[in-house]
Amino acid sequence: MLEIRNLTKIYDDGTRALHNVSFTVEEGEFLVVIGLSGSGKSTLLRCINRLIDPTEGEIIWNGVDLAKLAGEDLRKARRKIGMVFQHFNLVKRSSVMNNVLSGRLGYTPAWKSIIGRFSAADREKAWTALDRLNIRDQAHKRADELSGGQQQRVGIARALMQEPEMILADEPVASLDPVLAHSILRYLEKLNQEDDMTILCSLHYLDLVQRYATRVIGLKEGEIVYQGTREEIRAMSDQEFKDIYGEEAERVGELVGTTGA
Amino acid sequence: MKTTRRTKPASDEELKPSRISPTLAAIISAVIPGLGQMFTRNFRRGLVLLIGFFSAAGLLIWRFILVARRDVGFVDIFTKGIRLQPVLLFLTLATIVLWIWIIVDAYLSAKRPVGRAVGLFLILIVVYFSLGWQIGQVDLVALVTQIDDAESQVNSIAWPWSRAITTPEEYLEARAILWVPCTDDTPPQPPREGDEAYLEITPNCGDLGEVDGSRGTPITLRGYGLLPNAEVRILWNDPLKQVFTHREAGEFMFFPADENGEFEVDITLPYRLVPPTTIGAQDWTIIAQQVSSTGKPEPSLELKLAVEKMIETIFIGMMATLFGIILAIPFSFLAARNLMSGTRITLVIYYLVRMVLNLVRSIEPLIWAIIFVIIVGLGPFAGILALTIHSIAALGKLYSESIESIDSGPIEAVQATGANWTQTVMYAVVPQIIPPFVSFTIYRWDINIRMSTIIGFVGGGGIGYLISQWISKTDFKATGIAMWFIAVTVAILDYVSAEIRERYV
Ligand SMILES: Nc1ncnc2c1ncn2[C@@H]1O[C@H](COP(=O)(O)OP(=O)(O)O)[C@@H](O)[C@H]1O
Ligand SMILES: [Mg+2]
Repeated sequence: MLEIRNLTKIYDDGTRALHNVSFTVEEGEFLVVIGLSGSGKSTLLRCINRLIDPTEGEIIWNGVDLAKLAGEDLRKARRKIGMVFQHFNLVKRSSVMNNVLSGRLGYTPAWKSIIGRFSAADREKAWTALDRLNIRDQAHKRADELSGGQQQRVGIARALMQEPEMILADEPVASLDPVLAHSILRYLEKLNQEDDMTILCSLHYLDLVQRYATRVIGLKEGEIVYQGTREEIRAMSDQEFKDIYGEEAERVGELVGTTGA
Repeated sequence: MKTTRRTKPASDEELKPSRISPTLAAIISAVIPGLGQMFTRNFRRGLVLLIGFFSAAGLLIWRFILVARRDVGFVDIFTKGIRLQPVLLFLTLATIVLWIWIIVDAYLSAKRPVGRAVGLFLILIVVYFSLGWQIGQVDLVALVTQIDDAESQVNSIAWPWSRAITTPEEYLEARAILWVPCTDDTPPQPPREGDEAYLEITPNCGDLGEVDGSRGTPITLRGYGLLPNAEVRILWNDPLKQVFTHREAGEFMFFPADENGEFEVDITLPYRLVPPTTIGAQDWTIIAQQVSSTGKPEPSLELKLAVEKMIETIFIGMMATLFGIILAIPFSFLAARNLMSGTRITLVIYYLVRMVLNLVRSIEPLIWAIIFVIIVGLGPFAGILALTIHSIAALGKLYSESIESIDSGPIEAVQATGANWTQTVMYAVVPQIIPPFVSFTIYRWDINIRMSTIIGFVGGGGIGYLISQWISKTDFKATGIAMWFIAVTVAILDYVSAEIRERYV
């Protein structure tokens, strides 16, 4: 269980990106964070795995306050939290295989990883992850030779290598077209349902939120302005959605049931 | 929106009424070209014309004075100038046309708004390039007419290979000693052994020729035991041990021995400047020489030297590149803004390192070579140092730019997996900077080897040193050999670096 208590983040330039945010995430939830661009979604997700240091508040996960961790303890905690990014954040010039293997770095002694020696078991895991995301054929290509959808699958495979209990996904489909958006989210849904991974995901489109979320949190100017269950979201009208989300909110379109690439 | 805003000031200026009348504008511009326009609504155009006209006119007057250096008075200077350099007449006319055009333009622009002065600026450009023609002493006629005279030299450079091989020769020699001047004694002669070649001179002493043309003592040479019918050459070995070929009345002497291997010729002692001595007679050796056998053709000294120095050249370039890489890497981190913008101190270091790198880079390697030749002396090490320091500056800048363009996304992503600092650098930073580093390094290697071919001109070692020596000795064939080596090496290098870059980057 993840419990966020009074989380506040004020950037060095004085921007208050999060203000007193508190909520809990039960194990196995697919929690979607919505909010206008600039409302603090990325800040929230990055505080959880401490890519950003929160200014105040607690992030209690499995009984440990992530906000207070440092050094080795922080790295150990990060291993169990996978992260998927809007722009994939792959090392473009490295091979797909190396990108996927880098998900294993937290478990590999530094000297072994420097000379590129991952254990046979790790390589086996990588192949399994690639299989799961249907990109085995791409393993030896350079990451930037892949299409956007394929790159995001590499991103997910990399997160899978961590054997995470939770995955943070920061607008994982914002740079993809609608067909691919569904395809990627279905992979996350599968991890959520089959592997019981907790998913925290920020999303843009109402129909994607309605289709995949088990619970929703709405952020506005760094504060929680909305919390809803699966049923409440499904019942939501476009107008209510736009009230939280702003006028730029839109639907991807009726694509449910399409099998994307 | 943006475009209209940008053109607005210009149209404002055009809509403003002129402050002076057309005639007045023309008169002002006749006295000070361009000033008239500045008083109408075209300040900027007037300023450009004013600066343009006066600098062109100034340069023109300066060129006239340079050409007619010793003349005084306007007319003398002018006539002499255009007599010696007809292009100056054209320039004068063009400047006058420019002046008149500026006056007309001043009149017109005071009258109504005018468009761009395309014609006017064209004239200005013509004036400037004609000046360039004169100052640069462009002489196309010389290029065409004198290329014929240079034909044999150019041919030597283009196809120098006759100089690449030599045929070693062995000689049969007979020697005799002669004293200058005569004394009471007779000079000892080399012992005569069996049928060996033997030279006899009568008399075996005498006086040299004089600088005024009076001839030296006539002597008779008799040779025995030489090769029948083979050509004989007469050489002298003077008291300073300098060997030179004998000339009779200015001509080299070659004559065959008879069928018995004997000859007899009359010669006179040569003129030669040798330091006088007080200790009686000086030894002069006279040598009759025949080519006894010719060996197999072999690489000439020039070819061997060229190969040796070409290898040295390539290694100068390689060492400079290696040292350049090693030293450029630390500097590049200090010159990368994204790494150094953390605190004020690091930012100051950043600006300092940047400045030093730019400064060092702006000085050509040839100049650095001169400096290092002064410090470490002639030779390849000076060249290596010169190219190294330039490489550090050039690579430091390029490397730092590729560090600056690193994508932080992968770094975050790798950190998020629980990787430590070393792992993050190895997996997210290094893969991003290796390809541009390799690419820039190969590029630099390429430049360094090209540069190392000329760094020898100032004493920095390598093949350039040979070329500068051979050119000053007007040995064009040897120069040609060196140039061929450079051309072939650079071509191979181009190919190799293109291949590596394609594979790697
Ligand atoms: N590194 C930063 N420094 C200063 N302000 C930042 C930084 N990152 C984000 N912000 C500001 O924090 C607020 C929240 O940003 P973010 O978390 O990226 O929102 P979202 O992901 O919802 O678009 C915005 O006002 C943004 O400008
Ligand atoms: Mg964001």
